Amino acid sequence: MRRRVGGVGAIQKQQLAQARFRNKGSEIAEDQLQQMTKQMEVFRTKLQEFASNHKNEIRKDPYFRCQFQEMCATVGVDPLASSKGFWAKMLGVGDFYYELGVQIIEVCIATSHQNGGIIGLDELREKVMKSRGSKKRQEDITQDDLLRAIDKLSVLGKGFRLIPAGNHYLVQSVPAELNMDHTTILQQAEGTGFISLMALRRTQKWGEERAQNALEDLVKEGMAWVDDQAKDEGERLYWFPGLLQDKLVSW
Amino acid sequence: MAEFDWPWQYNFPPFFTLQPNLATREKQLEAWRHLILEYHRAHKMHTLDITEAQNSPLFYNKSLKRKLSVETIFVVLEDLRKRGHLEWLDKQHQRCYVYWRTLEEWGKLIYKWASKNGMVNTVCTLYELTNGDDTRDEEFHGLEMDVLKKALQALENEGRAELIFFDENEGVKFF
Repeated sequence: MRRRVGGVGAIQKQQLAQARFRNKGSEIAEDQLQQMTKQMEVFRTKLQEFASNHKNEIRKDPYFRCQFQEMCATVGVDPLASSKGFWAKMLGVGDFYYELGVQIIEVCIATSHQNGGIIGLDELREKVMKSRGSKKRQEDITQDDLLRAIDKLSVLGKGFRLIPAGNHYLVQSVPAELNMDHTTILQQAEGTGFISLMALRRTQKWGEERAQNALEDLVKEGMAWVDDQAKDEGERLYWFPGLLQDKLVSW
Repeated sequence: MAEFDWPWQYNFPPFFTLQPNLATREKQLEAWRHLILEYHRAHKMHTLDITEAQNSPLFYNKSLKRKLSVETIFVVLEDLRKRGHLEWLDKQHQRCYVYWRTLEEWGKLIYKWASKNGMVNTVCTLYELTNGDDTRDEEFHGLEMDVLKKALQALENEGRAELIFFDENEGVKFF
């Protein structure tokens, strides 16, 4: 059978149709873009309005603050990205965490000569609250706020680190190189505040040298104190003042 | 005895073991210095006897079952001595003065009291200074005679007092 070859007219027709489709396509895209921009604009003004209306709640109410953070995260906005950023300026939220960060650093520095730069998150929270106490109304600070602020502090380098220990967190505020073994020790000592070589070897199944070295490192870093008078255990105990503060008389 | 406000370290077991890490030991000694001076100040004590001290609550936390060994007590006391807060009374180092105020500070305090109470240019007996009714509320009330004399000698060197001996008594004249 003889195939029908399209004539010049048919080809032109086809090209014309394609061109129309293209035009229509970009028209629609532009439309969408415009709509999106408009929506974003609306969203931005709404968020601004919301934020300025609720600025006080954001600062005072930890639950509200947390919800607001989550909302921002859902739409891909990080109000903490920079204290100079648009959101931060608009919302004053950056300032809140910036302030908190400074207070965290202050507390860590003030206590580091006693705890060797390891502090429990709960104790840190208590001390930070105390240092903010001079203001007329005590603003509640939650663990979530502290975690966010510390997370932002990590841009300062290795100085600040969170060490998860059970359902608590420890905050390390000295630039010590802690490896997995060291963190494991801190995590195991978290409950009692001390640990011994034997106890460590028993639970971790480490060789003597490995356990001994890791413990000695922590002594060298000033995080652990040795105690040679433990009659019950019958061996040297390694104590961590940073893990003990609520049990000792507070300074 | 007055209720004493123990520092947190007192309830921290390793405080009673000399720390091997030098930086930590420095913190430990600093805390001991502070504790010993505060303890003597609170109890108005000026001398320390090594034998007695080993069983004193200062170095022996019974509830914690931790005590500072004699060797470590000596390390701590030597540290105090280097800073002018302690002086041995005998060559065997069994007894010492604990100066929770340095001699210069004592001198200043006494001089201040004297000038406030119009005692300048008059003579007071040493007994009157440490045991008299007029000084009952002063920090130097009950100060040991020897320490008092050393403090007054420090004042004498500055030309603000002169120790005087008359009859069987010893006195001081403030300028």
